[in-house]
Amino acid sequence: MEQMQAREAEEFTLVTRKPYFDLPTACPLCLPVYIYLKLAHLPFHLEFNSVYPDSDQIPYVESGTYVAYNNENGGVIERLKQDGVVDLDSAFQSVPDWISMKAMISSWLADAIMYELWVGSDGRSAYKIYYSDLSWPIGKVLFLKQVYIVKQRLGITKDNAEQREDEIYKRAKIAYGALSTRLGEQNFLFDDRPSSLDATFLGHALVTLHVLPETSVLRSKLLEHDNIVRYAEKLKMEFIESGSSSSGAQFHSVPSSSAPRKDSSNWRSKPKSKPKREKTDEEKTFKRRAKYFLGAQLLAVLLFLSVMGGYDSGDMEFDDDDEGFTYD
Amino acid sequence: MSNPDPKPDSTPPNSKPDPERPKPFKTNDIEEEEEDEDDESELEDDENQSDDVFGEPNRPKPQAREARFRAEKLKMDSLLQRMQSGPVSLRVHDVIIKGNTKTKDHIIEAETEELKSVGSMQELLKASQLVNLRLQALEVFDSVKITLDSGPPELPGTANVIIEVVETASPLSGQIGAYTKAEARSSTVEGSLKYKNPFGYGDLWDGSLAYGCDHSAEVSAGLYLPRFKGLVTPVTARAFLLSQDWLKFSSYKERSLGLSLGLFSTTHHDVAYNLAWRMLTDPSQMSSRSIRRQLGHNLLSSLKYTFKFDRRNSTLRPTRGYAFVSTTQIGGLAPDSRSLRFLRQEFDLRYAVPLGFYRAALNFGISGGVVFPWGNGFLSRPSSLPERFFLGGNISPVCTVGGPTALWGFKTRGLGPTEPRRQVNDENADPSGVDFLGGDLAVTALADLSFDLPFRWFREKGIHAHVFACTGNVAKLTENEYRNFSVQKFVDSLRSSVGVGLVVPTSLFRMELNYCYILKKFDHDRAKTGFWLTFSGAS
Repeated sequence: MEQMQAREAEEFTLVTRKPYFDLPTACPLCLPVYIYLKLAHLPFHLEFNSVYPDSDQIPYVESGTYVAYNNENGGVIERLKQDGVVDLDSAFQSVPDWISMKAMISSWLADAIMYELWVGSDGRSAYKIYYSDLSWPIGKVLFLKQVYIVKQRLGITKDNAEQREDEIYKRAKIAYGALSTRLGEQNFLFDDRPSSLDATFLGHALVTLHVLPETSVLRSKLLEHDNIVRYAEKLKMEFIESGSSSSGAQFHSVPSSSAPRKDSSNWRSKPKSKPKREKTDEEKTFKRRAKYFLGAQLLAVLLFLSVMGGYDSGDMEFDDDDEGFTYD
Repeated sequence: MSNPDPKPDSTPPNSKPDPERPKPFKTNDIEEEEEDEDDESELEDDENQSDDVFGEPNRPKPQAREARFRAEKLKMDSLLQRMQSGPVSLRVHDVIIKGNTKTKDHIIEAETEELKSVGSMQELLKASQLVNLRLQALEVFDSVKITLDSGPPELPGTANVIIEVVETASPLSGQIGAYTKAEARSSTVEGSLKYKNPFGYGDLWDGSLAYGCDHSAEVSAGLYLPRFKGLVTPVTARAFLLSQDWLKFSSYKERSLGLSLGLFSTTHHDVAYNLAWRMLTDPSQMSSRSIRRQLGHNLLSSLKYTFKFDRRNSTLRPTRGYAFVSTTQIGGLAPDSRSLRFLRQEFDLRYAVPLGFYRAALNFGISGGVVFPWGNGFLSRPSSLPERFFLGGNISPVCTVGGPTALWGFKTRGLGPTEPRRQVNDENADPSGVDFLGGDLAVTALADLSFDLPFRWFREKGIHAHVFACTGNVAKLTENEYRNFSVQKFVDSLRSSVGVGLVVPTSLFRMELNYCYILKKFDHDRAKTGFWLTFSGAS
């Protein structure tokens, strides 16, 4: 009765940021994961967390007591691949073109969308996505903090602001050109098969087209490539708008095991705590013993001072309102 | 102005006209003689007067001195007789304040309201006593002297009250102590620095650092204003940065930055407003599902009302009397619907019955609490994690009056609904534990029999023994769980423990060394049968 019922092993839940602008989730980090799961035909529930905008754990995928956070092992998609949940990239891992396109999207295009959302446009779209469910003072402070962080990360200062902006847009333009050439008239970027590359690029494209304002420079650069726009809209209709399958109505037989496989090369499975663990196992006992020892010493001193110094039985309380002063 | 010739019938004793004797005759000194009857010594404490009424070596000849002595004694005797026979009608003409260089006059005058309305000598003495204590309670004066002087000669039957204050020479003071605040869930050790009266409004500024046994740390700065724009009771404001680490129990860390305002505070009632920005994070990334859903930022804007009625004879060792405390907290008092909305109610009832032998007493107590969110769809929403009830910890439930918190034998947050933590595929991973989620409804009850030990040394030190039994439970009601709730199930799953122990009350805290035996617990509860050391602050 006391235990919460654990979720059934088959059900996956994806937790992302809020839906907005006609997209199931408007955050450029979360949308690729959503699309990836859709492309892999993995049934899942969709839930939202709209009070933790500065978390790098979101998006995450959970199932029972298994959780794949975005700040571990190179991201949710990589983690799902490693744990054998879903893998669309098995054929492409050693294709150099695929790898370099992936690197280009994860660096140049990721920087471009980050710049455009927080600095390039007036930040209104970003505010709506991340802070609309937070009380105003908190939202405002976190927004300003995030703008500052983005500028730091992109290396933008007052002096080089224009130069950096030009550089970011130039690189985005080159990337769009390359991707457009690569795509041609196919359905997917490589071998006409979906991969995580499509998920990542599609996520970027949809956010650029739907979330950024019409005055956005990045958006206009993307609109120059018709085939990309067609590709984005087609896949959106096919995978995102095709029935609200996020309610997990049908369960396809997924060729992946429900319980994640053990991977011996999981050396990065707990990047934060593993180095700490070796250190604290020995030190923990020592620290605990030292704490008890010091605590006992302090207690003995206090007891000696208080008990040996006499004990006041009963409290003398003066009550201001209680004018018990009687004059005889 | 002073009347040189004292009229024994209508005017009170007056100040000496002789400039050689600058010290005026004080009615405080009358009380010095009456101390034996009334046992009032407060006025004397701060005056550091060691000389009596007639003291002070003087220049006049011994015979003249003796004559004066006799005359004054006669005067006083007659006055005393008059006062004992009936009220000596008198009213206060003027209140003169001296000695305040920094402190604003109106602060001192605000404490002297009673003096304006006295009608007799007796009332005047009583009121002077009260005013003296009030001024001392402001904590900004080193000494307070109240002198009663006769009024202007053209107005018979009047008196002037002269208040001489000496402001604190060293406005900075430090303090270290151990407390158990009502809001805190365990004892804290606190070090604070106080700066008294920098602006002359009787304002007390303090900065403090507190570390609590429940892994909490707090840095705060506060202000205490005795009179703020005509409000009846003092106003306190406190800005704080509080951080609590619950990683071991519930896999989250809580950090709060906020402001709390004490709006109204008397013996029985207390109203406080709290505005805070609260962040729940999980740096360990091991939390269970319910905890994960609660992580994030929240704005807390709440009003808390506490009603306290404590008629026990002692808080460290109650042997007689009863106490009742009720705390109501409403969150979400902001125009923004996105702030945290909840309603929290807790109550606590204690009763102590003396048994007559060996100073034995039976203490009974029952406490309960409930928390619920409000607003749209409140039935299916979860309650906010830090507002829930968690039972267990190193506090003695006999002394802490303030809602259900402690059960002997159960560790901090050691019982209630649990959820398994995240499982990680790692060769070195420890078996994943559980997170304690707390509950929306909590009830505890206790019975404690305390008695003196037959050894004189123990009795002198106040060390005594006790035998106790307690029971408690926590349940979830939100997220539609109230549909599955039944009183029968709740009662069936009550945890309980019994034990015996030694109580050592000291001036700083009450320590108990107990042997607890767990009668009933559930699988994941963190409880152990064995020796326990608990602490409670001397609240």
